[in-house]
Amino acid sequence: MIEVDGLSKAYGSTLAIADVTFAVEPGEILGFLGPNGAGKTTTMRILTGYLPATAGTARVAGKDVHAESMAVRQRIGYLPETPPLYPEMTVEGFLHFVARIKGVSAGDRATKVSSAIARCNLEEKRRVMIRKLSKGFRQRVGIAQAIVHNPPVIVLDEPTVGLDPKQIIDVRNLIKSLAGEHTIILSTHILPEVSMTCDRITIINQGKIVATDSPEHLVERLAVKGGYWVELAGDAENALTVLRSVPGVIDAQVAETEGLIAGHSRFQVTTGAEDVGSAIAAQVVEQGLGLFELQRNRASLEDVFINLTMQEQSQEPQDAAQEQPQDAVREDDLAEVLPKDPTHESSLEQSTDVSETENSEEDMT
Amino acid sequence: MKTFIGNLLAIYRRELQSYFKSPFAYVIAVVFWLISGLFLIVLLLSPSGIIAQVSASDQLGINQPYDVPYEFLKIYLNLLGSLSMFVLPMLSMGLYAEERKQGTLELLATSPLTNWVVALGKLLGVVTFYSAMLLPLMLLELIAFSASDPVFPLSLFLLGHGGLLLLGASTLALGMFISSLSESTVLAAVMTFGVVLLLWVVDAIATVLPGPIGSSLSHLSLLTHFTDFTQGIFDSSGLILFLSYIVLGLYLTAQSIDTLRFQRS
Repeated sequence: MIEVDGLSKAYGSTLAIADVTFAVEPGEILGFLGPNGAGKTTTMRILTGYLPATAGTARVAGKDVHAESMAVRQRIGYLPETPPLYPEMTVEGFLHFVARIKGVSAGDRATKVSSAIARCNLEEKRRVMIRKLSKGFRQRVGIAQAIVHNPPVIVLDEPTVGLDPKQIIDVRNLIKSLAGEHTIILSTHILPEVSMTCDRITIINQGKIVATDSPEHLVERLAVKGGYWVELAGDAENALTVLRSVPGVIDAQVAETEGLIAGHSRFQVTTGAEDVGSAIAAQVVEQGLGLFELQRNRASLEDVFINLTMQEQSQEPQDAAQEQPQDAVREDDLAEVLPKDPTHESSLEQSTDVSETENSEEDMT
Repeated sequence: MKTFIGNLLAIYRRELQSYFKSPFAYVIAVVFWLISGLFLIVLLLSPSGIIAQVSASDQLGINQPYDVPYEFLKIYLNLLGSLSMFVLPMLSMGLYAEERKQGTLELLATSPLTNWVVALGKLLGVVTFYSAMLLPLMLLELIAFSASDPVFPLSLFLLGHGGLLLLGASTLALGMFISSLSESTVLAAVMTFGVVLLLWVVDAIATVLPGPIGSSLSHLSLLTHFTDFTQGIFDSSGLILFLSYIVLGLYLTAQSIDTLRFQRS
């Protein structure tokens, strides 16, 4: 439905986006994720025909956004970062106006406006002036204006920014309900948003696509060798021996004792690939240690994001020579390296770093 | 063609609505009416007014033929023209600056509309509002003219006001272009006022300049051509000048919106 190929946009000598390539299948929700200033808005503006690209092509519903601009504009609904609203119009009047300039025929207009109002839960505000609406309602009117002409493609630039948690949930549900019949691109710098609403995520940083995948796959890529957080009562030394004796556990370390109830300690347990949570619990209870918490240590999308975006920045000043030995460490070797390493935590971080370096490099090529 | 008219009407209606629903536009209209109404009364009825002066000279025995309604129309239209010079930049300042500030320009620019349709619709909207501001005054003038004996020719009245409307439309077209240059309405108003003032007095500057440059420059003057209209002289060169200003304003606006997309935003 949307094909973007080698898209670049330069403002003067600064490159806002460079060689951006991605595609969105019909009915899919693509999350466009990146820190502020990464080029999300620029990409969306090119897609909607607001800005011309410096190089590359973008096609929406099979039509080139530049050469067949008018046809594309008719097929696209766009919510810019600040919802484009006329404060002196009523919600209904404004939606009628938008339907009209988007080329909805006079006969269809009333029904389309009504259905957009119904979808965005704006019935009670139908005849209210936009000036008098709260931020949340304005955002909804913004979404309503993007869907009023029932376009096959909807582009939403940070649709939940500045909303309260309840409104955010409403808007997300609204977006999810639009999927299927509409193809949606949605930009955000808020992670839970993409993981909750999107089928696929494209991470963009400094104008370049860093990764494109489903949320689950992105997390999987970063998955550390299994690990648990365990909070126990009793002697820490004894507990360590007990934890290390569990089959499948590679290492256990005291993570913290501060801030916990006296006599409690928190341990970080590194395990192999297999799940040994129940074995740890069984062993701990058998040995008479009080088990207060057992939590799987899982990489979140946040980690993926930070890793992918921070890495880009840190890599640039880094010496190539410094990177070489890091790359040389194979993931399979890590299991052997880890137990011997006295500074366990830092090595763990390193291991995630390494696996990510490899992954992102696969992407770049 | 059908969609062109449909889009034009949509933009036109929205623009009109924004004027008729905005307290700011009403404040401008009321101040305009107050001042121009005051002028009307002073000019007609005050001891130093035109009627009092003519009757005084009659009593003194100076028997000079004097066409009161004609002189009144001429003076009054010039007053309205000068007053409009201050009012029109305030009407045109928000045309695009406001859209840019609200972000609604992004909506217009990503809708299947050409820049020309948007600019023309907006111009028609603001010209309509300006006409609505002139209508009550025209009514007052007509009441005054109804007392004239012999009957004052309606054609002179219509020609003069047509000239005023053309002057207004060309000023608004240029103001619209200037409004499209920035997000600041105040800046747009000040700049428009400057440009209008310059075009107003350009013939005064032109007299200083020698030869063909001076004379060609003097043809650009809004004031000279407007004065022709108020005197009841219909000169096609004046009509063409005003229409050229309008088309130029529309063209520059359309171009400026197009250029905007190529700039850093």
